[in-house]
Amino acid sequence: MSAIDIHGVTRRFGALQALDGVELAIAQGEFFSLLGPSGCGKTTLLNIVAGFLAPTSGSVVIGGRDITRLPPHQRDIGMVFQSYALFPHLNVFDNVAYGLRVRGQKGSEIATRVNDMLALVRLSELAQRMPHQLSGGQQQRVAIARALAIRPQVLLLDEPLSNLDAKLRREMQAELRRLQRDVGITTVMVTHDQQEALGLSDRIGILGSGHLQQVGTPLQLYREPANRFVGEFVGQANLIPARDEGGGIFAATGHSSAAGVPLRLASDASPTTAPLFLLRPERIALAEADGIASGPNSVEGVVREASYAGAELHLTVALDGGGALSVAATEGLFAALPQPGVRVRLSWQPSDLALLPADGAPA
Amino acid sequence: MSRAAGAGSPFAWLLLTPGMLFLAAFLVVPGVLLVMLSLRDVDGMLMMLPSYGFSQYLKVFTSAGYLDALLTTLWVAALTAILCVLLAWPAAWLLVNTRSRTWRTVLYVILISPLLTSVVIRTFAWIVLLAQNGLVNDVLRKLGLIDAPLALLWNMKAVIVAYVQVMLPFAVLPLATSLGEIPAALPRASHSLGAGARHTFLHVILPLTIPGMMSGAIIVFALAAGSYVTPLLIGGRLQPLLPINIYQQALQIANLPLAAALSLTLLVVTAAVAAAMSVVQKNWERRVYGH
Repeated sequence: MSAIDIHGVTRRFGALQALDGVELAIAQGEFFSLLGPSGCGKTTLLNIVAGFLAPTSGSVVIGGRDITRLPPHQRDIGMVFQSYALFPHLNVFDNVAYGLRVRGQKGSEIATRVNDMLALVRLSELAQRMPHQLSGGQQQRVAIARALAIRPQVLLLDEPLSNLDAKLRREMQAELRRLQRDVGITTVMVTHDQQEALGLSDRIGILGSGHLQQVGTPLQLYREPANRFVGEFVGQANLIPARDEGGGIFAATGHSSAAGVPLRLASDASPTTAPLFLLRPERIALAEADGIASGPNSVEGVVREASYAGAELHLTVALDGGGALSVAATEGLFAALPQPGVRVRLSWQPSDLALLPADGAPA
Repeated sequence: MSRAAGAGSPFAWLLLTPGMLFLAAFLVVPGVLLVMLSLRDVDGMLMMLPSYGFSQYLKVFTSAGYLDALLTTLWVAALTAILCVLLAWPAAWLLVNTRSRTWRTVLYVILISPLLTSVVIRTFAWIVLLAQNGLVNDVLRKLGLIDAPLALLWNMKAVIVAYVQVMLPFAVLPLATSLGEIPAALPRASHSLGAGARHTFLHVILPLTIPGMMSGAIIVFALAAGSYVTPLLIGGRLQPLLPINIYQQALQIANLPLAAALSLTLLVVTAAVAAAMSVVQKNWERRVYGH
């Protein structure tokens, strides 16, 4: 039995279809992320699970109990808000104790539980502080301790790291993963940050325009995107439409290696009409131009843009016959960084080309 | 706000000058004159003598009548403030939770429009309602609920009812501001932790509106403690309220030094109570928000 079952959840706001028939099963103890661009419906879905919004149709089942019609306070859900939503008039201890006091637990039990939770998030010394005296990262940890204190069946995280600076975000990401593993609680996180989702999640659901576009492990989403939306949203991608020429050779329709000569791709993909290939920028090998005529999966071009991003170098290479490819190269490979105007040779393996269903095919 | 016009710059002081001059001319100077007036002695015919002393204050603090009036004034003002804050809750809640901008504007206009009318006019409206042959008695008699008209005017209850009506907006506005500043995520967090609407109201919403309730209570308290038109018209000149005593001493008996001493006594006591409430409010804000 799944920890969370979402059946045919649809939500309309007037004329806007925010969610359209979402089907999703989340396993016990799983860290699941809902990832998508803003306005994709991910927050709507989280609010439906939390009970702050009712679905237009469909149902939400948690631990075998249909909670679709239950108000939020009867759902047994822990939630961490984007703004942390700590009660400003209560100190750290009382914030964490809030849900336990609602349940009418004894004072000694509450003290034990709160101290355990504060030890878990490593904030024991700050129990008497007021929220305004805490840093963002500390407030975040109090919010997590408060949500976990009530031993909820499910933990919901709404963009939990988006208000932290980059360094702290990486630290909290590791902390969050450690806490989730230690407690073993089924967790659903909403985020627009794919690094966060890829780094934390057991599985990710990509939401786009109210539909679940693909559900899979981070590696599956990256290596085998189900459609163009996922391919373009997760990571960087070169999308190359082509036509089948037989014998494992495909001719690109938008990229040309020389005037009138299509870029030729060698792939093990089974032949389809109008295939669309996805080629990750970091799978492309970069070499000095040698002027030799290009075979399949190899092409020469001129660097049009080069941007340096620390560990990686991002290049846009204009092909001689038209079209351009993005290339990501490890910075350490170069004595001098390639400058715009330099000619380079690009090449890749047949296995680097992922085949996407042609545009218009169902997700 | 730009730094150039910030506090401390010469330009800021220049901007403050007209206001400062106005305050000096119409608050500080009359205040000093009032203090000096209150220290004058009078003879048996209430004529002012050239000597100065504390005889007027001695009269205020040794007269059971004036001390009683002072306590009644404070008590009535406090009761008015409490009633206003209680009655402000539904109105403030409605203002904050009205989604439509148009309706919210309409509600604000309804709330504020009484303030555009003079206190005298609003108080007269209560006389029209509460008089022996007024609307309330008429309706009750026609419904057969009473035989003889009730004496609704000329008592302290009527004064308090009128105070509450006149001063309610001053309690609603700060409460609505305070209520509107509570982030929507806080009640949601409370619900997610298992608290229903009642628990959330008592443990999250109510504590966080303490600053707004205190602001409203301070304003209403100060206004009610110093008001004389409403009690005079509705309660009559026999009510034991200090502002009525001051009015009588100043305008009917013409004992200006005693009126001045009574005024300053009322002013200092009211200011002390308001300051104490303000300290409570500021301490709360410092605890919760750190400033």
